[in-house]
Amino acid sequence: MNRGKQFKEGLITNNPVLVQQIGMCATMAITTTLFNGVGMGLSVLIILTCCNVVVAALRKIIPDEIRLAIFVVVIAGFVTIVDLLLQAFIPALSAALGVFIPLIVVNCIIIGRAEAFCQKNTVKDSFFDGIFQGLGYTCVLIIMCVFREFVGSGRFGGGLIDVANGFRFTLDGTGGGIQIFPEEFGASIMNLPFGGFLTLGLLIGLMQYALKRSEKKKKEAERAAREAALKEVEE
Amino acid sequence: MNNKIVRLALVLFAICAVTAGILGVVNALTFERIDQITHQKEYEAYAAVLGSESGYTPVEFDKAAFPTVDSVNRSNDGNGHVVVSTFSGAQGSITMAVGVDNDLKCSGISIIEHSETSGLGAVAASTSAAGEAFRAQFVGQDQSIALSKAGGSVDALAGATITSSAVTDATANSIACVASLG
Amino acid sequence: MSDKTERIILDVAYQPQVRTKTDTMRLMLDVIIALIPAAIVGVLQFGVYTLVLLLTSICSAVFWEWGYRRLFKKEASIGDLSAVVTGLLLGLTMPPTAPWWLPVVGTFFAIVIVKQLYGGIGKNFLNPALAGRAFLFSSYATIMATWSVPNALSGTVDGTTMATPLAGLYGDGLPAYFTAKSMFMGYMPGCIGEISAFALLLGGAYLIWRKVISWRIPVSFIGSVALLTLVFGKSGYGNGEWMLYNVFSGSLMLGAIFMATDYATSPVTLNGQLLFGVGCGMLTVLIRYFGGFPEGTTYAILIMNLCSWAIDKAFHRHQFGVSKSDILFQKAEQMAAKEAAKFE
Repeated sequence: MNRGKQFKEGLITNNPVLVQQIGMCATMAITTTLFNGVGMGLSVLIILTCCNVVVAALRKIIPDEIRLAIFVVVIAGFVTIVDLLLQAFIPALSAALGVFIPLIVVNCIIIGRAEAFCQKNTVKDSFFDGIFQGLGYTCVLIIMCVFREFVGSGRFGGGLIDVANGFRFTLDGTGGGIQIFPEEFGASIMNLPFGGFLTLGLLIGLMQYALKRSEKKKKEAERAAREAALKEVEE
Repeated sequence: MNNKIVRLALVLFAICAVTAGILGVVNALTFERIDQITHQKEYEAYAAVLGSESGYTPVEFDKAAFPTVDSVNRSNDGNGHVVVSTFSGAQGSITMAVGVDNDLKCSGISIIEHSETSGLGAVAASTSAAGEAFRAQFVGQDQSIALSKAGGSVDALAGATITSSAVTDATANSIACVASLG
Repeated sequence: MSDKTERIILDVAYQPQVRTKTDTMRLMLDVIIALIPAAIVGVLQFGVYTLVLLLTSICSAVFWEWGYRRLFKKEASIGDLSAVVTGLLLGLTMPPTAPWWLPVVGTFFAIVIVKQLYGGIGKNFLNPALAGRAFLFSSYATIMATWSVPNALSGTVDGTTMATPLAGLYGDGLPAYFTAKSMFMGYMPGCIGEISAFALLLGGAYLIWRKVISWRIPVSFIGSVALLTLVFGKSGYGNGEWMLYNVFSGSLMLGAIFMATDYATSPVTLNGQLLFGVGCGMLTVLIRYFGGFPEGTTYAILIMNLCSWAIDKAFHRHQFGVSKSDILFQKAEQMAAKEAAKFE
């Protein structure tokens, strides 16, 4: 399988959130600071990759009739492991993401990939599929976080970056972020669920616009090539 | 037919068993740390409203008379109680710790969880100057605490009368709860 | 050739579908003229800075409209003056002390997000000016709830800011310097354009006389607020007095006359308009009595905007000369044909 194509699919043409439009609930709920976005994105990436590998490895012994039950057990297992590890080692992230970490169990991206991809593909392909789809998800989260945080509170990198005593990364979520303009000028509605809906809607719209345009260009190029070929034949 | 069902059950059982085993191991590895972190968090919230060197012990209280109170914790130093209560604010529920000293005066409040409007009610919990000033008004108040418009001495946050009065009422309620312990 | 005629038939204009020389620009010009008295009262009461605010709001609204259409290579639409109306309305709902950038942000949301992204004039499902105001209110709550003292009260009230009559009515009591008459004339704090019921009614009368709006929505809106507050009074106030205070304070008049009557976001059916107005009035009173905000007009109208398609559906008129049973029979026949088609 072509890795480059797989990469492009995960990030752009078959992006889980913007094109497949799955896993949107958590996307809208937690994208308020960069810390949350990166944390959630990486959690999903890890869980997705692990589940993909396990499901692909077991694909021959999983009976068709009970495959969904088995997927759910595998996913719930990995989610619980990640949840416990986060609670123990990054409690700030666990507190910020709250119920959305356990809810990864019902995140459609993971069960969707298991059902649509890993069932029919090798362990290696599924591994890369997990990485690329997870990256696509993480990228969308990061874009949304950066946008919402900037418009909502005039800040960049809240929780993850601290500039109070020189530039450094904070992994415990205590960083204040880089204040770009004073917080009172920020449209604080962007930090509320409404901001999540608005940002996601704008992003999906933009993505569809770009995809349609590139498709149109591709078709036009194809037609031009065909016409040129016809002309050559005629001559 | 029977064979098939048995086979399905066996496969599912095997996978569940393996998952459960792994989870058990992870839980054993992380349990102690998570427990420690949870206690530390509670301890910090309590310490913010009523300092104590030797920790806190939960005590029994009359849940029927004080339905919004979640727990009452006596300071092991004997300098008062910390009352945690959950009540409704302007937008959703607010969880707050109130320190009550032995003279039944408030020694400080700390909002643990809330979902108030950012810029209005949320100021009550924020670390901004306005938030600190608002919370500082509660220190030293007794059970008759009330907003200034209701005849008391606590100035409401601008544009957030509902949040302010909810927090004030909950403080009075917390003090009353400690008073009822006798 | 035939292509072109078909297009003309398919491109039916959005409401209003009136067969006169009136066009959108003329209607919008009438709305602007009708808003001028309210704007004058606001500027007289709160000073010249409010005029600057209004002009900033109008210019930025026109700029966003022009910029968006230009960026996405669409037909220019600023000539129909609808952006001017949106800008002016949003400016009139600003508190007099708002910083200059506030209406710029508000009109961006109103014009670009609420209006243009849905296709431009006539296709928005919320009133753009009101949606912009709601956006600002949720984002900059402190700024949006700071009221400066109007010139008429500058001798009576200490300080530079004061509470609105509504805050008094639903809080610790209405100060004595507010009377029904002074509130009617606009001697009270509030948004720039909402304070004078008199100026707004003048504008409303002009619009009704020019047939730009019908009486249905404003009358049913204000009427239902009046009726409800008359019936459910508050102790300490006479019922009639309480009703007058409620009708003259807040943004009720501005909302009922200029916002709720927006063509694109209110029902077209006549009974539907009455129901729309009553719904707005009931929600306003509910929010004032039980809500967390002192004023409920904005959200009442926005909520009813969302219902207006359903209201139109409910009041959809039957074909002329066809009885209900005929329609039922026709529907049954169609369904039977569909079912039959399935088996073929």
